[in-house]
Amino acid sequence: MSLFVNVLTAVFVVVGVALALVAAIGLHRLGDTRARMHAATKPATLGVLCCATGAVLQVDDVSSITKVVVVVVLQVITAPVGAHMLSRAITIDADQAG
Amino acid sequence: MSAVLTVALAMLLVAAALAVWRAVRPGTLGDRAVALDMLTAIITCGLLVGAALTGDGLLLDLAVVLGLLGFLASVTVARFIERRGV
Repeated sequence: MSLFVNVLTAVFVVVGVALALVAAIGLHRLGDTRARMHAATKPATLGVLCCATGAVLQVDDVSSITKVVVVVVLQVITAPVGAHMLSRAITIDADQAG
Repeated sequence: MSAVLTVALAMLLVAAALAVWRAVRPGTLGDRAVALDMLTAIITCGLLVGAALTGDGLLLDLAVVLGLLGFLASVTVARFIERRGV
């Protein structure tokens, strides 16, 4: 059981971290601000979600698990809203400039 | 498992370095805002991996605060770009 939980933790954490690394590479490889945003906003939700699943499997008290849930809920609500506001501002600014 | 998590932290360090480089490199304000927004997500991931590694609940408090601050920062920069331009 313990080995199974540890392997599951490692898998989730590696998936989340690999997403973050790919997004960081995409931040340099992609050519446009909104294209870079397309790369950058994925680890903000899915990467954090995977890392949080890994963390929840390793901590054992209820307060820590609650904190991880709070982190996930906050991130899932705020990350798309923040990204949307930023992309809207960039689009409005590009329209005004062009 | 702790070896895997340590390697994961090293990968996050590389990702954070790439994001910082993107923010420092010449670019528009939007580019920098996107890069710094991603940096907060990477640091949140790092705190969660650190909590998985040590079982320390204090790191999770930091992750909560960082999530709120990151949202506030990206909204502020978005309003700034919208009003004043890049």
